[in-house]
Amino acid sequence: MTQNSVDYDLLVIGAGPGGYHAAIRAAQLGLKVACAEMGNVGGVCLNVGCIPTKALLHAGEGIRGAKHAEDFGLTFGEPKMDIAKLNGWKDGIVKRLTGGVSALFKANKVTHLVGEARFLDAHTVQVGGQKVTARSFIIATGSEPANLPPFPVDQQKIVDSTGALMVPDPLPKRFLAIGAGAIGLEFAQVYHNLGSSVKVIEFAPQVVPAADADAANTFAKILRKQGIAIDLGTKANGFTERDGELHVELEDVTTGEKRVEVYDRVLVAVGRRPRSANLGLEVAGVQVNERGFIGVNKKMQTSTPHIYAIGDVVGNPMLAHKAMKEGLVAAEVIAGKKSEMDVVAIPAVVYTTPELAWVGLTEAEAKAKGYTVKTGNFPLSASGRAMTLGDTDGFVKMISDAKTDLVLGAHIVAPHASDFLSEVGLALEMAATVTDISLTVHAHPTLSESVLEAAENIHKQAIHIMNR
Amino acid sequence: RPVVHAAPSVRRFARELGVDLSQVQGTGLANRISEEDVRRSAGQPSVA
Repeated sequence: MTQNSVDYDLLVIGAGPGGYHAAIRAAQLGLKVACAEMGNVGGVCLNVGCIPTKALLHAGEGIRGAKHAEDFGLTFGEPKMDIAKLNGWKDGIVKRLTGGVSALFKANKVTHLVGEARFLDAHTVQVGGQKVTARSFIIATGSEPANLPPFPVDQQKIVDSTGALMVPDPLPKRFLAIGAGAIGLEFAQVYHNLGSSVKVIEFAPQVVPAADADAANTFAKILRKQGIAIDLGTKANGFTERDGELHVELEDVTTGEKRVEVYDRVLVAVGRRPRSANLGLEVAGVQVNERGFIGVNKKMQTSTPHIYAIGDVVGNPMLAHKAMKEGLVAAEVIAGKKSEMDVVAIPAVVYTTPELAWVGLTEAEAKAKGYTVKTGNFPLSASGRAMTLGDTDGFVKMISDAKTDLVLGAHIVAPHASDFLSEVGLALEMAATVTDISLTVHAHPTLSESVLEAAENIHKQAIHIMNR
Repeated sequence: RPVVHAAPSVRRFARELGVDLSQVQGTGLANRISEEDVRRSAGQPSVA
């Protein structure tokens, strides 16, 4: 096929965060771009992921906030949640944002092709009823919830993250989340704040297994204090339904002890698997590993060099902002720029209250890499700003290399941690030292001062705590 | 974490000039690599 005869310079498959970033950046760089999407633009993140869960968390937070207002003398009647209105408000936000992506496509002259895509050969993709040819391709097909065979999802009693977004009326009295990652914990707090009795179980010995152990344990303690039960080292073997109730068999992973607990709704949140099947990758020569992830190099090229892949379908961490960055890199490479996926760290956030947010290495990872690790802590109980917000549960832990004073990572448990974590992300990319952060003036009173104080604590010079 | 200590803009600049940052001696604090270090390594005249 000659370059002149193709329909597009680039066909992006999937309009999630990675796909729409790739399509728009490629169009900005002068390429003729189409984006194929079988569902709604915005993908999982906008439609059934990041955005709607944050909306529900905010709504639940309103109820918690109203209760806490008693501390400063503000009382309300018993909170009443109109669940239909809550679901409608959440859906409205999603609609506005997906509409925004469509408008951005139009403004950037990206053609939106509707339909499921499948490679017919290395330069031709069938999208819905039509055949589309392109010079380059970006596969951005994302992921879907992993299943747990004893708990087949019906989106009523046994739900995955998509089903959990539709808050039922009446609310489930007893809610079980299987998996204490970001998805399980965020939904646990939503249902807890709305009024369900909630438990989260986790196979691993800590919540959010990828997180720093100190941060994860402090975080779990705070969630338990709020009334969310968490059973670590626990798995769910199966259930029987009797009189509409789910009798779930739980097992302690270490002792093998079994028990049965009764729930009304169970969320399966044990991970996500890549969507790489039924894409015709074989005919395009695109290789996939045994777990279904597409292999790529730093330029996001697959084993077929003019076919790129980005986002969840290429592997962990499965985060929207990682997909977005990879999308930009792929688009820039295709447009002839010398771009590559070259980042020091990708931040991760659990959007509960408080948030658990981190960037860079955990203490264990830093030690494993051979650094002489120094840590500095600052508890929110010593933060004036945290006191004025009525939320003093949490801390900042900073990790540095003793030899060079370079910042290696930060782990934050605090309200709005995700917003002031970005400071440490920039520090990591700039190769900043702990001293650089210490010498930066932080506004007072702010939660971000906790980062400054944790940095100062590494040097035993924090002001508002005793330095140990 | 890579051993090279350079800001994102410097890393992009090195890619554009085809300079391997692991071969560049950084002259900044904590051996940070500056745009000037990359330029010198590429054999390009420095800009005043």
